[in-house]
Amino acid sequence: MEAKPSTANLVDKIVVPGDVVLDLSSMTNQTIKLGGGLRQECDSVSVIKAGKLRFSKPNKYWVESSQKRYVPCVEDTVLGIVVDCKADNFFVDIRGPTIAFLPVLAFEGGTRRNIPKFEIGSLLYVRVVKANPGMNPELSCTDASGKAAEFGLLKDGYMFETSTGLSRMLLSSPTCPVLEELGKQLSFEIAVGLNGRVWVNAESPSTVVLVSNAIMNSESLSAVQQKIMVDKLLQRIK
Amino acid sequence: MEVDRADGRNPNQLRPLACSCSILHRAHGSASWSQGDTKVLAAVYGPKAGTKKNENPEKASIEVIWKPRTGQIGKPEKEYEIILKRTLQSICILTINPNTTTSVIIQVVHDDGALLPCAINAACAALVDAGIPMKHLAVAICCCSAESGYCILDPTKLEEQKMKGFAYLVFPNSILSVLPEGSSLVQGEPMEHGIITSVTHGAMSVDDYFHCLERGRAASAKLSDFLRRSLQSKLPGDLSKAE
Repeated sequence: MEAKPSTANLVDKIVVPGDVVLDLSSMTNQTIKLGGGLRQECDSVSVIKAGKLRFSKPNKYWVESSQKRYVPCVEDTVLGIVVDCKADNFFVDIRGPTIAFLPVLAFEGGTRRNIPKFEIGSLLYVRVVKANPGMNPELSCTDASGKAAEFGLLKDGYMFETSTGLSRMLLSSPTCPVLEELGKQLSFEIAVGLNGRVWVNAESPSTVVLVSNAIMNSESLSAVQQKIMVDKLLQRIK
Repeated sequence: MEVDRADGRNPNQLRPLACSCSILHRAHGSASWSQGDTKVLAAVYGPKAGTKKNENPEKASIEVIWKPRTGQIGKPEKEYEIILKRTLQSICILTINPNTTTSVIIQVVHDDGALLPCAINAACAALVDAGIPMKHLAVAICCCSAESGYCILDPTKLEEQKMKGFAYLVFPNSILSVLPEGSSLVQGEPMEHGIITSVTHGAMSVDDYFHCLERGRAASAKLSDFLRRSLQSKLPGDLSKAE
């Protein structure tokens, strides 16, 4: 394939690794923010992960893709599983390349005297505080101002793993159709982590199973198809 | 020069290609690639924390496991593993996730000639499926040259055995670019004219080898297109995202 003329725009098109999407020598006076999936090489910006190229005004470019593996980023809320407890940190698995650390004092009102005790295997809803390449990410159970804000241990319920693209869709606003339709008829509690983990809790196990199956099936469906699928599932339990 | 191939193809014609991604449920990325009857399944796990003892901890490392269809793992499999590892190391960006290991597992489903190129294509598609950061993609092709000097592409197993020598060639894929033509040249040639890996068996003259290189490069453009199209169909479109 030949190089396209420089007025061609690859925004909102599917790109594969190696495609050059921006020519920086023609935009010398602007500040551009590059998100995930893009890399700067001297005067051009090229793609390193396959996906759809997105642009948001005024100056943000990123590649949207959905994987089973999570890349930790700062200020992401994720669901982690405790794998070990040490003196200073809990070791928490967040489905990334390395294990993350959760300091024992990173809780609201946490002091050395009231360190929470988590068993190995417990599920936590946490926020990523530091995510530098090459280092283990650091987590926290408080929000930026130090309040607990729903972070912490998730009891009971059922956790399943999906791709990162589906969890972004579940967290999008306005509410994604599958959750809206389910919410009209059933009552349940849900926590979605950007690392692809979803936790569902409800009074009866059949509701939990129904909600989980509906979410897992909705990955590749459009909005209308999602509504139809949820209607069919709900018909069956009536 | 007219050449009779057993399945009626002309010398520059490739076998029918098929590629499907995300077929394994537990692997982080997977792809199956088939060229005619040769079919290979590749699975990618990772990146996982930690590297092996001999590896540089400042870079990500790639580990390849080759599983033949039948029989035990022997020296030819180890050789394929080393070739694949070097090829994949040159296309992946190793500095992004230091001190991690990405495992690529290749399972041969059926071998009917051009096995290593098929495996390289499958591994590349599986790495894209898993979201491993890469500089560009790789497309691989097999060219063989016969006594009379003509060269044919993508041989079947019978054709491979009859030939004087054959070469497995791996080229970078052709890229879409917004740069004006001519500005992204490396040493005077566009990047697609580079070569990543070349493995030769048998004996061929230098001219024959260059001839094979040209034919292979021309065919790699077609493979590149096919790879791009099969990755596009697998990537999700706009679901219900609010715009």
